[in-house]
Amino acid sequence: MAQTKDRKPLYKRHMTRYERKKELIAYSFLAPNFIGFAVFTLLPVLFSIFLSFVKWKGGDFSTMQWVGLGNYAEIFKTAKVAEKGIGYLFTKVDLGIALKNTLFYTLVTVPMTLVCSVALALALNKAVKGAVGFRTIFFFPYVASMVAICVCWRFMMMKDGPINQFIMALGINFNKSWTADSGMAIWSIILVSVWRNMGYYMVIYLAALQGVPTDLYEAATMDGANKWQQFAHVTLPQLRPTTFFASTMLIISCFKIYDVVAIMTEGGPGRSTKMLVTYIYDEAFANFNYGIASAIAMVLLVIVLIFTLIQFSMEDRYAND
Amino acid sequence: MKKALALILAVLMLLSVASFALAEDAQTLTIVAWDAETTPYLAAQKEAFEASHPGVTIEYIDVASQDYPVKSSTMLSGGDASDVYMVKELPHLLDWQAAGFAEPLNSYIEASGYDKSGFLGMEANYAVDGEQYALPFRSDFWVLFYNKDLFDAAGVEYPTNDMTWEQYAELAKKMTSDGVYGTHYHTWLSAVVNWDVCDGVNTLIDGDYSDLAYFYQLYQDLEDAGACMPYDEVKAAGLHYSAAFENGNVAMLPMGYWFVSTMIGAIKDGTCSFNWGIVSVPHKEDVAAGSSFGNLTGAMINAKSEHKDLAWEYISWLAGEQGALATASTGTRPAWVSEGVANAMASAEGFPTDDASKAALVPTYVGIEIPASEHSSEISTILNEEHTLIMTRENTIEEGIEAMNERVAEILG
Repeated sequence: MAQTKDRKPLYKRHMTRYERKKELIAYSFLAPNFIGFAVFTLLPVLFSIFLSFVKWKGGDFSTMQWVGLGNYAEIFKTAKVAEKGIGYLFTKVDLGIALKNTLFYTLVTVPMTLVCSVALALALNKAVKGAVGFRTIFFFPYVASMVAICVCWRFMMMKDGPINQFIMALGINFNKSWTADSGMAIWSIILVSVWRNMGYYMVIYLAALQGVPTDLYEAATMDGANKWQQFAHVTLPQLRPTTFFASTMLIISCFKIYDVVAIMTEGGPGRSTKMLVTYIYDEAFANFNYGIASAIAMVLLVIVLIFTLIQFSMEDRYAND
Repeated sequence: MKKALALILAVLMLLSVASFALAEDAQTLTIVAWDAETTPYLAAQKEAFEASHPGVTIEYIDVASQDYPVKSSTMLSGGDASDVYMVKELPHLLDWQAAGFAEPLNSYIEASGYDKSGFLGMEANYAVDGEQYALPFRSDFWVLFYNKDLFDAAGVEYPTNDMTWEQYAELAKKMTSDGVYGTHYHTWLSAVVNWDVCDGVNTLIDGDYSDLAYFYQLYQDLEDAGACMPYDEVKAAGLHYSAAFENGNVAMLPMGYWFVSTMIGAIKDGTCSFNWGIVSVPHKEDVAAGSSFGNLTGAMINAKSEHKDLAWEYISWLAGEQGALATASTGTRPAWVSEGVANAMASAEGFPTDDASKAALVPTYVGIEIPASEHSSEISTILNEEHTLIMTRENTIEEGIEAMNERVAEILG
């Protein structure tokens, strides 16, 4: 370590023209990508951070008004929450409700998707008849149009739709459209999300399953492990890196949920399916409060960042052993 | 040889100067509008304006209707220099005005001595602190559409221009039979309870919503009696009101006047083939018959336009008598009110020929659906959220209205 530190200035001083040229070539290859990233990602992110501290309804920059943390106080309704307690934030304030809904949606959708896709992958990993056909069928929702999928599901979840008829046949009395019921609306979104994503993660798990060395199973069989023990002690540990990848991607995409909500429930009934991103959209493009919308976006950014950091800190422990 | 070349060059130069002068004569006015391809009145306005203003070409920038609020605002924020923007909903103009997108019009109005009498005061909704920012060219107040064939078949008298809401509810129940709904409500808040503003006193931004209870109750009674399709079903199926009415199994439909041109078109292209008519919307006992509410549609000059004088020429023409006649020729209701316009509207091809329909063209009062204020759009979001909870019966009417009052009070501070 100390050696490299010592060597560094020496190396720089002695960089030849040839080396400098090589460096330049490397940067020039990176440039197109970096410029794209800077213009379309980095700058908007920085601008959004700035916007979260101003009041602005769009248009001329001269109409911006610096409000400091005012937007944050506004979305957290700090004055009211201080007066009425934290419960007020999660039952009455838009941000609290959106936060609660998004967290609930994520915490249910991610494990459900993982379980379903592993189960599908295991079932289709065997050389069953028509496995390829089934793989295509389960992957299909992922490539199909989101709007079409959501409209179909909305019909199926109607008051007298096939899903309710099935439920009624089981003896459960529920005769409301799922999307018109505060309690069920979020489940309709979870269901569609899981159904749509499981095919994609199934393919990833299938690839991972192919990579599990068969000798591990052979050794386990020799040791007298039954099928369940093989799954728990060989397959699952071998799938850890994949699960790590899948859960990271899923958590991020779940926090950003927008399309399904916009098509299925429009955030309703009431505020029962209002998510962070739908809230951002409403503030930015219905009410034109760009400052408020950016402040909410910052809250979302911090949450996703925290989750990602936690996951990466666990990566060394779980993903690569 | 040299002389010939010089001559050719001179001629070429002259030609280029001439074409430049010609090009200056031929001006293009760009107008941002929604559904320009499919909206008949936009085509009629373009044709009439171009005919009376030789050398001017109108070019519409077409935006899908449901995307218009977002897309037009995004374009303006991005510094788009299109000359004229159509104003779809009142609160947007207020936002645009605050952001400096809208050209102030008072100086143009004074300089040209523009006569505003035909607007009956409705243009005041487009003014901020006495400065006019847009002119209205459409005013779609709500009327009651009805299917004459269904009434004839049931042997029931047609609705009239002076029904009360109680009489309407009774009629709806009377018209309900197997496969026929007495009336139809679209999912919007405005279709169910906006009638409250017809008295000229209440508004949807005043923070007190207790008076909406009457209309929610009226709706729920009709829904319970099976006289209208349940909200739940209309919402989940994403049923459009035009499909519902054109199906031919809905006897009445309270809807905005814009639906007249849809119906005329639907009959013309054979989408449906029954006789229909319009009457004034019902009224409460203590409110004058013929009172309605509606929206204004207007046009504003983009502050970034490079052809402001021509743009003024256009919007003043569009909102005035001549533009109104062009608009009315397609069955669309202009904001400008005059004898000539009323006659033009009634004589539009496909407009119902009965006297009641003609009489319904002249309302006694038109309230504004949601007046423009600093908080209009926030309030509208809250009302719509609570509306869905009342309509799905998650909340009782009282609970819903209490939530509206409470949440709007927080915004009004």
